Amino acid sequence: MGNAIETDGLHYTLGRGFALEDVSLRVPVGSIYGFLGPNGAGKTTTIRLLMGFHRPTRGAIRILDRAIPRELPTVLSATGFVPERPHLYPTLTVAETVRHHSAFQPRWDREWAASLFRRFALAEDRRVSRLSKGEMGKLLLLLALGQRPDLLILDEPTEGLDPVVRRELMSVLMDYVADRTATVFISSHLVHELERFCDWVGIMDRGRLLTEMPMTQFKNSLKRLRLSTGVALPDAPFELLVRERAVATAGETWLVRGWESSMTAYIAERGAEVREVIDLDLEEGFVELLRSFRVAEQDASSKET
Amino acid sequence: MLRVILFQQWKGSRMLLFLAGLTAFAVPVVSASTYSWRAQSSWDPAGLLLFGYAVGFLYPAIAAATGLIVAVTAWGPDHRGGHVYALSLPLPRWRYAGLRFVAGVVLISAPVFMLAIGTGLVALTAPIPEGLTAYPVALTARFALAALVAYGMFFAVAAGTTRTAATILGVMAGLVALQVVLTAFGARVNILGGVTNALFNWPGPFDIFGGRWLLIDV
Repeated sequence: MGNAIETDGLHYTLGRGFALEDVSLRVPVGSIYGFLGPNGAGKTTTIRLLMGFHRPTRGAIRILDRAIPRELPTVLSATGFVPERPHLYPTLTVAETVRHHSAFQPRWDREWAASLFRRFALAEDRRVSRLSKGEMGKLLLLLALGQRPDLLILDEPTEGLDPVVRRELMSVLMDYVADRTATVFISSHLVHELERFCDWVGIMDRGRLLTEMPMTQFKNSLKRLRLSTGVALPDAPFELLVRERAVATAGETWLVRGWESSMTAYIAERGAEVREVIDLDLEEGFVELLRSFRVAEQDASSKET
Repeated sequence: MLRVILFQQWKGSRMLLFLAGLTAFAVPVVSASTYSWRAQSSWDPAGLLLFGYAVGFLYPAIAAATGLIVAVTAWGPDHRGGHVYALSLPLPRWRYAGLRFVAGVVLISAPVFMLAIGTGLVALTAPIPEGLTAYPVALTARFALAALVAYGMFFAVAAGTTRTAATILGVMAGLVALQVVLTAFGARVNILGGVTNALFNWPGPFDIFGGRWLLIDV
């Protein structure tokens, strides 16, 4: 299976303070790809590049096997999009908005859209400007799904929604993906929510893609180890991301990637004992990975100075 | 596509368009009634022409306002949404801009139509003195053209980014500042006059706004 989204070495400068650097994404067809990162990491900028709103200063983008921006209209006709901020015309009613949107979508499925309309229980004659956050979220998802897209790009689609609406939206999304081999590229701050749905994860920080891998691999490979004492690590068979001294004892806490249980012998050979191996959930893994990246970056810059 | 864009633009501008249309209808009708009331029994040709000159400036003003209203309401909602919605639609940008432009042209026809009714009504019912003729079609056509010129200019500015608008305003402000400085130093150079002449006199693009705007003329 190929990739629904492929970017190679994307660079983009946004003003003076922020730049995307060398972002190379691979989003497999049929995957639900969680795009994580703290505020200002570059998630929305990356999405805007994918949607063709901006042109990268360097690098290439292919979506659904087509080059962006050259074949943008063809790609957009097969892509559902939910932006970070609502953007619809405030004077139109819900029904008028759906009619307006469908006129531009060659693949619009009226029956499917009508069934979504009923499922979301949206009021047809309510003005867009008077919709609640939850109703707006539903309408945006309806517009994104109505054309039965092969790819969904969702930028914080559940931001600010209550848990009931959030679950409802995610459930509709999952039903759609289950019925059809669609790819979902979703960015969110709600890490625990993505953990339930996503099978791939990519993590951004400060304009760079730190890692991307299958969710299970991400969760399995990151461990927190508690050691009896600190040891030197020549040719370690795992990657040591963070190393911290314990507060009250002589021991150390490590954050490692690529850990396997057989590696306790390697530590023992060096005179230390692995007292505890702690599995991390996505949120912990995400936070620790960011921390290790930032520590490494700080070390590098202090060496330079 | 044009139908839904036209509907969306109409819904966003209908109140202002209604006002523009009402004014376009009212100016010829009210001015004819006012003159009729002033002149009591008979219409004096010279007085009628002078009165026509006095109110004539209203026609290009309404045409310019109509162009401005339609252009600003065409792009306003897209600007407020950062153009995200328009850019996410599966059609080339030039085509989207073209659809918006055509929808605006259709909307401009509403005030033009109202003016046609107003001028037509005056031409049919007013006791026009001998030697003078009513020109409802010519005035309406000129009004339509002026509204289109204004619309085209404002549409181009409104379609651009804030930076484009700022650049245009900056150039205008720069010219005014330069004129002030030159005048302060006693230089006999009239930059603003030159620019105004170039724009508002033939073959300038805004020549249509100048000259006589008379419904009843010799």
